[in-house]
Amino acid sequence: MTIAPDVDDRNPADLATAPGAGSTELTVLGACPQDCPDTCAMTVTVSDGVATAVNGSKSMPYTNGGLCVKVDNYLDKVYHPDRLLYPMKRSGPKGSGQFERISWDEAITTIADRFRSIVADHGADAIMPCNYLGTQGIIQGLNVGDAFFNKLGATVAERTYCDAGSCTAYAMTVGDTAGVDPESFVHSRFILIWASNVMSTNLHLWPYIREAKKRGAKVVVIDPVKTRTAKAASQYIPIRPGTDGALALAMMNVIIGEGLTDDDYIAQHTVGFDELAERVAQYTPEWASTETGIPAEVIVTLAREYATSQPSVIRIGVAIERSAGGGQTVRAISCLPSLVGAWRRPGGGLLQLPLWAFPVNWPAFLQTELQTPGTRVINLFRLGEALTGQMEMTPPLMGLMVYNSNPVVVCPDQDRLIDGLSREDLFTVVSDHFLTDTARYADIVLPATTQLEQEDINFSWGHLFVTYNNRSIEPRGEAIPNTELFRRLAAAMGFTEPVFSRTDEEMIAAAYDWEAPAMQGITVESLKEKGWQRLSLPSPDEYAPHAEGNFRTPSGKTEFYSSAAAGGNFVLPLFRQGSNDHQPGQPVDPLPHYIPPRETAAADPDLAHRYPLNLLSPKSHAYLNSSFGNLEFHQKVQREPSLIMNPADAASRGIVAGDRVRVFNDRGMFEVVAKLDDSVSPGVTVCHMGYWRRDSLSLSTPASLNPTVFADLGNAPTFSDTLVEVEGVVSQMEAGA
Amino acid sequence: MTYVVTDACVDELDRSCAEECPVDCIYEGARMMYINPDECVDCGKCMPVCPNDAIYSEHTVPEDKSSFLEMAVAVFEDSGAEGGAEDFGPVRDHPVIAALPSGGSGKADGDS
Repeated sequence: MTIAPDVDDRNPADLATAPGAGSTELTVLGACPQDCPDTCAMTVTVSDGVATAVNGSKSMPYTNGGLCVKVDNYLDKVYHPDRLLYPMKRSGPKGSGQFERISWDEAITTIADRFRSIVADHGADAIMPCNYLGTQGIIQGLNVGDAFFNKLGATVAERTYCDAGSCTAYAMTVGDTAGVDPESFVHSRFILIWASNVMSTNLHLWPYIREAKKRGAKVVVIDPVKTRTAKAASQYIPIRPGTDGALALAMMNVIIGEGLTDDDYIAQHTVGFDELAERVAQYTPEWASTETGIPAEVIVTLAREYATSQPSVIRIGVAIERSAGGGQTVRAISCLPSLVGAWRRPGGGLLQLPLWAFPVNWPAFLQTELQTPGTRVINLFRLGEALTGQMEMTPPLMGLMVYNSNPVVVCPDQDRLIDGLSREDLFTVVSDHFLTDTARYADIVLPATTQLEQEDINFSWGHLFVTYNNRSIEPRGEAIPNTELFRRLAAAMGFTEPVFSRTDEEMIAAAYDWEAPAMQGITVESLKEKGWQRLSLPSPDEYAPHAEGNFRTPSGKTEFYSSAAAGGNFVLPLFRQGSNDHQPGQPVDPLPHYIPPRETAAADPDLAHRYPLNLLSPKSHAYLNSSFGNLEFHQKVQREPSLIMNPADAASRGIVAGDRVRVFNDRGMFEVVAKLDDSVSPGVTVCHMGYWRRDSLSLSTPASLNPTVFADLGNAPTFSDTLVEVEGVVSQMEAGA
Repeated sequence: MTYVVTDACVDELDRSCAEECPVDCIYEGARMMYINPDECVDCGKCMPVCPNDAIYSEHTVPEDKSSFLEMAVAVFEDSGAEGGAEDFGPVRDHPVIAALPSGGSGKADGDS
């Protein structure tokens, strides 16, 4: 296996002219735009202005020459006949998908006129952006519209889809630190993969795990589903959904109770050990066993092996936060490495979100100073409620602008959201690559460029390399980058601050704090030429950021007893356009503790009587959220949407494999095909999210069943706290026969 | 989905694919390499590194080589092979492959 390849990619300076009559073939260095921890460096081959191949960089160590099933066929997306190429306006009822082509001038004028009239009639906060990380580059991604909407005075969109609760908990405990370098995993002796299907959603980490395993490390996977990653591990520990916190607390109970702690590390680099020890004394393995369904002796062995196989590392996935106690779960897990001194050596500690290592110049994009203090904040999980008068709010939302997102598929409460988007008096603008389930409800649809047609610079939330995306082809049709969209809108609205006329080049120049130590030797020019550069940090063989403490908390130590808890619950301002107003603020216990899942037989017996099965809706293998869900090749790979059930649950309902089933609860329903296997325990069902409502059997997807209730910290979602019932569907043909 | 090794690998066994595979799902037989369809993550890294152009995706494999997909399924069906080729070691060739005459002229035609 090659961990560090030695083949160099060609860079733009060597653009080769291919032999032949006037045809030119170029290799352009790009970077993957998808919301994935792997942030691959790519090479794009371009012949006579047409992209002919997209490959993984051979020189970038982490990408290591390969992309993934999602992005390998990126050209299918770029050149798909369904690509949106021109602005359009609605010409039929909302949701009908009937549109007619208009000019960009008409589109921008229409939007600006409507925004002005909404501001005049209702106030600026009757308008709201709705976006996330459909593309995640620094200039085209999360914050691309923040300056515009902050200046407009629009309602602030709180966007906590992914790791927001986990980040709050992590920051409370160890600060906003990079954590373990994934490339250091080869040095780990014990790797605990917790709630992450690495092979499907973090593929490029797996070779490092494999190498560690080859060198003798034990690899343990904890997951309610026996994923392909679980099958490849040394040990798979199935767990009841949403009870991970009980396991982490019981591991601490064993480690402290049996004296497996690193007392010197605890004394020097942590605060609150005595309080923590007292707190976790109640969380015995026997207690945790009844919560998690894991035998007590398995918990004890896991704790012992984790503590004594140093360096040990934990990789947590995003799913860990998606239950009522998701925040406290991450709090407990974040305490573990310091208890056992795992941080002392490279390959020891916790890998949560190495994004924090990147000195991104967020203020340049948030433009918080343009915000009107006190502007209201609405979390996007509650968009359906906000649009349909279910939330007490004045003024109501009258204008919605969607970009980098397909909320119909990724937001919970799908039925209500559809009702809201169907409102005749709501003005909706959607910018995207395709006529998504959301775009069908737009009044104005705008064509966005794909990554090949735009320039961008990336951070990563899965490794420590900055990547650069050189534009490789001209925009198709009249598609424009998000940056250009907001330049045009700002001009039409008469916004004159210099920030609204910045070129892409100027934004890229402002993307990082280039003077920061981590950016030593890295410039825009060097990135353009090389495509990627590792942050200026010690090598993966030496990088142990907390060997001597130096945690990024107020005390500089791991805070078992969190001082930040005194401020109450909060969402990092990055996820809410920089706003710190209207934070959730409820009191937070400064010590880790257990919060059981919200929809269970114990918590709500009546609900569980009617809906006895737990529905998980994890990320799919071939789609990235809903991106690629409309492409034929990806659909073939992912196969038709299905509900994975334990054979016992199916048998007791008279369901056989291949049956069409209806999955339902009080919030909604969806219909898919039953797939039976023992990768899930009795009581647990799985339907992978990402397929489009348009392509479904019932015009609905798992989002229709998910609750809008937040987890305990950082307003994380509680998608995994979803109880359902399942029944076979008699087709109309059979019923009539 | 999966990728599949076809006749051009028989008695070649270059193994570049196995080195490239990020999840170690390409197992070695005595006569050719086999991709475990249950373990393949569809990333496509193996295809371009094969010096014999023996590898196709399930959805692009030529019809006259599609039997290699069925053979790969059969090879792994009762083999107990999982958890990575490195740990498991070699697999037994499919009987059709094992029965091919050795030497350069004995390529399977896929229909046999």
